[in-house]
Amino acid sequence: MKLDSNAFGRNARKALQDKTLQEALGRTTMRFQAHRNAAAAALPEFEAERERASRIKRDVLDHLDTYLARFIEAAEKKGAIVHVARDAAQAREIAARIAREEGVTLAVKSKSMASEEVSLNGALQEAGVTVVESDLGEFIIQLAGESPSHIIAPAVHKTREQVSRLFERHLGEPPTDSIPALVGMARRHLRSKFLSAGMGVSGGNFLVADTGSVVLVTNEGNGRMGTILPRVHLAVVGIEKVLPRMADLPTFLRLLPRSASGQTISSYVSIVTGARRAGDPEGPERMHILLLDCGRSAILEGKYREILKCVRCAACLNVCPVYQSVGGHAYGWVYSGPIGAVLTPLLVGLPEAAALPDASTLCGACADVCPVKIPLPDFLLELRSDVREQGLKTPGEVAAMKGYAGVMKRAGLLEAIERIAGVLGQFFTKGKGIAGLPYPFSGWTERRDFPAPAAQPFRKRWKIRRGARGDTR
Amino acid sequence: MNERESLFRRLAAACGGHGAPAGEPSPGRATVAPDGDPVARFAETFTAAGGFLLRGPAESATADLGEMLRAEGVTALFFPEDDPEAREVAEALVPFGPFHLTTGAEVRGGSGAVTAGFRTAEAAIAESGTIVETSVGGKTLLPGLIADVHVSIVRDASVVARMDEALAAFTADPPRNISFLSGPSKTADIEQTLTVGAHGPKKAIALLLPPKCAQHE
Repeated sequence: MKLDSNAFGRNARKALQDKTLQEALGRTTMRFQAHRNAAAAALPEFEAERERASRIKRDVLDHLDTYLARFIEAAEKKGAIVHVARDAAQAREIAARIAREEGVTLAVKSKSMASEEVSLNGALQEAGVTVVESDLGEFIIQLAGESPSHIIAPAVHKTREQVSRLFERHLGEPPTDSIPALVGMARRHLRSKFLSAGMGVSGGNFLVADTGSVVLVTNEGNGRMGTILPRVHLAVVGIEKVLPRMADLPTFLRLLPRSASGQTISSYVSIVTGARRAGDPEGPERMHILLLDCGRSAILEGKYREILKCVRCAACLNVCPVYQSVGGHAYGWVYSGPIGAVLTPLLVGLPEAAALPDASTLCGACADVCPVKIPLPDFLLELRSDVREQGLKTPGEVAAMKGYAGVMKRAGLLEAIERIAGVLGQFFTKGKGIAGLPYPFSGWTERRDFPAPAAQPFRKRWKIRRGARGDTR
Repeated sequence: MNERESLFRRLAAACGGHGAPAGEPSPGRATVAPDGDPVARFAETFTAAGGFLLRGPAESATADLGEMLRAEGVTALFFPEDDPEAREVAEALVPFGPFHLTTGAEVRGGSGAVTAGFRTAEAAIAESGTIVETSVGGKTLLPGLIADVHVSIVRDASVVARMDEALAAFTADPPRNISFLSGPSKTADIEQTLTVGAHGPKKAIALLLPPKCAQHE
């Protein structure tokens, strides 16, 4: 997927002017949020499970070498063929080789952010494989030639009319405004693909170290079909997805759907271990597991290692005021929202995504809902420091921040500026807002008035109030 | 050095010196307490997940099940050859149709008929309203995968309170596939409107039966 994260500002402006997107974002994020909060409240042990999940993930990261080795050994014992990719180019090369060697010409793929990360579809297509996305949202955006705009609702920006036009153009279906009819069209089209595909490509929500199992969580059932019907299964999974034991799984199966969509559990959980066994009436003859490093081992080594605890539930997206306003495409890569603003610079390199840590109000809502307790606001702040230290801020920004710091360190100077601003503000605006500021401050007044400085600075009012109360503090 | 060795070298360097040794007991214990009678709880949660629950004995529930299947337009019924309970329920339904018996292979081959797939559940989970089906012993998963309506036959005794109990049997040597099925196939990918039947069954029915000995008493 093309990286465009440093264009966040331009992308965000475009998103803010897109009325359809604005309506869709408001509707979706509010609904997800309300459902998540209700589901969390209905499980009295929710907070205890968050704590437990966080501890399990921390333990995994502290011993990832041990758990991953255990996973690989167990998976290979069950007949899976395990591959390791250092970077995206290697992952694409391995996937293409698997497809060629297996003689695959049609692959059905279930939703996988890891595969988006390495642009897997392109590699398979170059190897002569037709790749059909089978998650309905992914299928829609594949037909539209777009990328996902939300981790669990990739086509959140599309209306039913737009979907109908896509199905008319690409599938030859008649126009309709009925959502069940549209779902039925996709079902018919994709069922024939499932029954004829040579390979099912999936991601993996979790890997179980003790048993060598890949765990998939879906609502539509496409993950099940793609891992049972085709003769080859390829699972593309990040190395950090390991859990130590099968007994750890229930905690995550309670947290993930509740955090993602407010469900008690997703419709389908598939725990797949190796290839078809002797006597199994169905299942793939061969199972390949492609484990992605792609920058994860480097993250593990540094101060942001806890970002690797992420289970991709998207709860942080739904509560983020920035994501709610601009949607996923503005972030310019696979991951969006607060998790994207941290993970993208770490995976692709800070210079390539230096704009993203600023895409946050630091309100802290993301940390409040994260099921594995990732300190996202702390990481965002820390990344802003890194951007500054690596010299990635523009000279104008650096000068402005230096000036700001200089004033804020001197109480007397700040007070003097406040008084002057108060007098000038009252004189020029008569107490009303400032309708237009000159460049480079014009952005603040493009869509709303900038509040006029108060005639009396806060600190003066505070002194007067304190004096009136006789407060000596 | 191959790529795998190189990865483990990087990971060992990154993990070095952290915390207690791996392989210790799970940090913390499961905290979700079972809620009263698991069977009653399962009935609630399965329905909340969008499933339809019928209570047996099988003979008394057959007419209701037949009516539900007719309402869905079902004409073909299939069951695994090695599942006598599923066979019994499906065969008993034929007079309530217009139903005919078919095989999973025919359905997989692209039969145009609206189908119902029958299968005995290995377990059911009360906390989440989940049917558990596995490939253990060469069992097929097709009835809950490709049918338009999935009918699970659930014995009271197979209902467990929590997911942990359902997975406990598989901690050492899991079969190729363990599936948790909770309600019908769902999607909300178009305008966040919940719609059933994206890929899998459009309707999930659980036929809850008492233990065999109690049924015949």
